[in-house]
Amino acid sequence: MARDYYQVLGVSRDASADELQRAFRTLARRNHPDVNKDPAAEERFKEINEAYHVLADPETRARYDRFGPDFRQIPDDVAAGSYVGANRGGGFRTGPGGGGARVYVDREAEGDLGIDFDDLFGDLFGGRGARGPIRGADQEAELTLSIDEAYRGGRRQITLGGRSFEVNIPAGVTDGQRIRLAGQGGQGSGRGPAGDLYLIVRIAPHPRYRLQGRDIHVPALVTPWEAALGASVPLATPGGEVKVKVPPGSSSGRRLRLAGEGMPNPRGKPGDLYAEVRVMLPPKLTRKERELFKELASVSTFDPRRSA
Amino acid sequence: MTVGTALVRRPGVPMHTFCYRTGLHPDLVRRYIALGLLSPSRVHSGELWFGPDQVLVAGQIQRLHEGLALNYAAIGLVLDLLERISRLEARAGSTPPWI
Repeated sequence: MARDYYQVLGVSRDASADELQRAFRTLARRNHPDVNKDPAAEERFKEINEAYHVLADPETRARYDRFGPDFRQIPDDVAAGSYVGANRGGGFRTGPGGGGARVYVDREAEGDLGIDFDDLFGDLFGGRGARGPIRGADQEAELTLSIDEAYRGGRRQITLGGRSFEVNIPAGVTDGQRIRLAGQGGQGSGRGPAGDLYLIVRIAPHPRYRLQGRDIHVPALVTPWEAALGASVPLATPGGEVKVKVPPGSSSGRRLRLAGEGMPNPRGKPGDLYAEVRVMLPPKLTRKERELFKELASVSTFDPRRSA
Repeated sequence: MTVGTALVRRPGVPMHTFCYRTGLHPDLVRRYIALGLLSPSRVHSGELWFGPDQVLVAGQIQRLHEGLALNYAAIGLVLDLLERISRLEARAGSTPPWI
């Protein structure tokens, strides 16, 4: 069901013509499809215009106050009382003025503006015989993807403003890229084509992966002996598990580059994967481990604080 | 010496096609141009030529004019500011407020 026109404009039922106009102008500016690219803004813009169109005219406003959303279906000469009776006894809540038409729009003031409301809002964005087609506005919406989804790409179902789209996400899409859905933007008028809908890709932060362009940085957790002696350690990446060769004597922070293992690139070279060595220690040593570390401490002459 | 030539399609459309696509009267199009709202290029023959983006701009002009009751001078300002905002947003990598 359509929303209450006063609610649409965010004004009270006894709002003056000036208040209505101010609310309308502010909301229309903020929701105009060329200013606000949110796909939901266009619908709001239409609603705001319809509400104002009805409430700005004292006669239609009075009818709306009496009969509510059905005011257009009620013949001109029907009295309020008889209609309310006919309508399941419900009727329409009227403002403090009761059933009477509170008409206090200053005709002069309206005239001063030199605006013909019918001309302006008679049919939003043209569509009348004399006017030609107007293309719909382009719209934008955000599409948040995980790194894994961006890596794999593929089809995805998304819902925007009550409409459902099947979107083909190119593998290796990066943050800030736009996916164009041709003809899915704002409605055109007067047989004008619809605008386009742009989905702006946002890559959600990941607990392990960090993206830098198409390069993926991921920590490679290793034991002290793997770091000291060298090892081939398994590493989970968006593309699946890979083996990273950790060279002997790798300290924490050492970056190992796996060329081409980063994000795929639909148009060129894929990114690289950087595995960053992070030496981990058991939080609690067993007695044996403790002995061995003590022995190592007494034998080794290595001092990282004294650079060689 | 022979010079190889190739026919290349110039992107865009001439005045009559532009008017047909946008539904605008040629006089109104000329007015938009005079106000600096549309900027077609002039080809060798002296004909006005409208790039693909000009159809989009024409739509914007019409929507702003009818939806916000803006006059054409104000629309010029709005178009400039909207373009500037989108450039700044693109540079900052920021998300527009409505998202």
